[in-house]
Amino acid sequence: MTAKLILIVDDSRVSRMMARQYIANLHEDWQIDEAATGEEALERVQQKVPDLVLMDVNMPGMGGIAAAEQIRAQLPAVPISLLTANVQTATRERASQLGIGFMEKPITEARIAQLIAPLEG
Amino acid sequence: MHAPPDNRLPLLESVLSAVSLGAIVLDGERRIVMWNGWMARHSARSPDEMAGQDFFAVFPELRGHRVDAAIQQALYNNFPSLLSQTLNKAPFPLFARPGVDQERLQQAVEVMPIPVPNAPRHCLIQITDVSLAVGREKLLREQAMVLRSQTFSDGLTGIANRRHFDVAMEKEHRRAKRGGLPLSLLMIDIDNFKAYNDHYGHQKGDQCLIQVSAALAAILKRPGDLMARYGGEEFAIILPETDVDQATLMADALRLRASELAIPHERSSSELRLVTVSIGIATQLSGQPVEIAALIGAADRALYQAKRSGRNRIHARLPD
Amino acid sequence: MFNLSELENDALVEIFNIGVGQAASSMSDIVNETVRMSVPSISFMNRTDAGRLLAGPDPAQERICGVSQNYDGAFRTEAILMFPEDKSLEIVRLMVGEAVPLKELTEMEQEAMCEIGNIILNSCVGTLANIFQRELRGSLPRYHLGTSDEILTATSSQDGTVLMLHIDFVVERQQIHGYVAFILGMSALHDLKDQINQYIARAMGQA
Repeated sequence: MTAKLILIVDDSRVSRMMARQYIANLHEDWQIDEAATGEEALERVQQKVPDLVLMDVNMPGMGGIAAAEQIRAQLPAVPISLLTANVQTATRERASQLGIGFMEKPITEARIAQLIAPLEG
Repeated sequence: MHAPPDNRLPLLESVLSAVSLGAIVLDGERRIVMWNGWMARHSARSPDEMAGQDFFAVFPELRGHRVDAAIQQALYNNFPSLLSQTLNKAPFPLFARPGVDQERLQQAVEVMPIPVPNAPRHCLIQITDVSLAVGREKLLREQAMVLRSQTFSDGLTGIANRRHFDVAMEKEHRRAKRGGLPLSLLMIDIDNFKAYNDHYGHQKGDQCLIQVSAALAAILKRPGDLMARYGGEEFAIILPETDVDQATLMADALRLRASELAIPHERSSSELRLVTVSIGIATQLSGQPVEIAALIGAADRALYQAKRSGRNRIHARLPD
Repeated sequence: MFNLSELENDALVEIFNIGVGQAASSMSDIVNETVRMSVPSISFMNRTDAGRLLAGPDPAQERICGVSQNYDGAFRTEAILMFPEDKSLEIVRLMVGEAVPLKELTEMEQEAMCEIGNIILNSCVGTLANIFQRELRGSLPRYHLGTSDEILTATSSQDGTVLMLHIDFVVERQQIHGYVAFILGMSALHDLKDQINQYIARAMGQA
């Protein structure tokens, strides 16, 4: 299996560190890219197309959903997963419309494992 | 002051049976381990029936909502929760007279963690009947509304003014959206009113407005229905929980009533030579909320259509 | 004044954001509208400064609506959700859907605010307790209406440091700012710092 590239987008540095650590626990060789805002995320995907994007919803500025919409438009093949503590019908529907997944916070290793499982197959 | 140990348990059981509030206890797996006398009386389900049952098997509609969240807080976090009757309308199917009454009791609910020696935490769901308090509160509100309506009424006709309409519309719109209920709006315009004023003078014109608005307002039966003076010779009626058919029936009754007043109108465009009204009907269907502006717009367009089709008639539209 | 390193601060803000996020989810379910809540920042201050922060431009006029719950067990704190009086009415109106001016704010609507406080505070403290893997006990909510000083004094006799959370609350396109204050003694504060570091270390696979 080739090493994958995961882009983690979250304004919380600790959150990014944790996600990075959990992925490293499961796949040491995979690469991790980080972005602290939706805008940064858009820049990153232009530079290097990731195999998966983990996108925090609650961020200042553009916000996770808007950034996800743009990435979807530009790179429809890249899987995106929204990360949020607030899973409401509106979020679910929007995610469904965009064809992206979502994961409840807090981030745990088990949840991360579930998310990256499709990449391993 | 204690009863001797061997009397305590039966004593406590009798007390629990006699208290005037509902007590349900769930074990760590959410199975019902206690269902007191009050619960039995108001749910028509006996403690024997309930013992050992999975709480969500008995109340599947509560899964995923506030009661569920409160049970989780109690069992996992050891925190108590309060469910206000203001935000949670009667979550449990409890009645003053089960089998006879259709309306549920108004309920205030508390969910508390209960430590149990040598077992995982249990939780107690405590339900209080607050129907009386809610009734009193409603009465107080109505009285306050009466007082406040004095600044919300139209000077000439005495019915609600535009400001009152706006406030009521916000409220009913939100209520309809929240409850998935239909909401209808009628826009009523007196036909050829300018011509009436020109011919009979403004004083007669005012009297006409007063007479027509009074007659139409008298037809509204339910407390939630509101007729307001929307503009010069335009009236609006908010009909909560009313679908297209019901709104159409109401509009027809209103149209008929207006013409039955038999107020002479020499300059009327209709052969009747009587004061008539045209009515536009718009309905926000249940579960399909639209913006208030869209609903008003649809009613306006329907009214216009009624006018164009010859006046003294009604026309209905759904918002786009 | 007690403070946290940037990383510790980041971790705590993130934990509270998860807490209020879950609270928003519950409230959204109640009102059938989209509800968003976030904690943009936190700060530590003494009670006097906290009172001033909450009071706004005219301390004598501005009344605060507060809902408090106390917690003890692994650590002890008094937690208070606070909004300026008119804002709390806004929230209740948005949640309840009725237009009632303050003078008619009856016990019923105070009760609604109590439930809102109960949901938000339990969610915040619950998330904290879970992530720190600690066991606590909580109380039912109490309603207070008064100046910020009155509320902060009424809820806690102990001299403590106030951990202040700025809260953004959005319902029906209306954005409302409020606060959650945790009153903590010195040992609770150091305990908090410890717990945050252990949490970070665990997450980094170092503990």
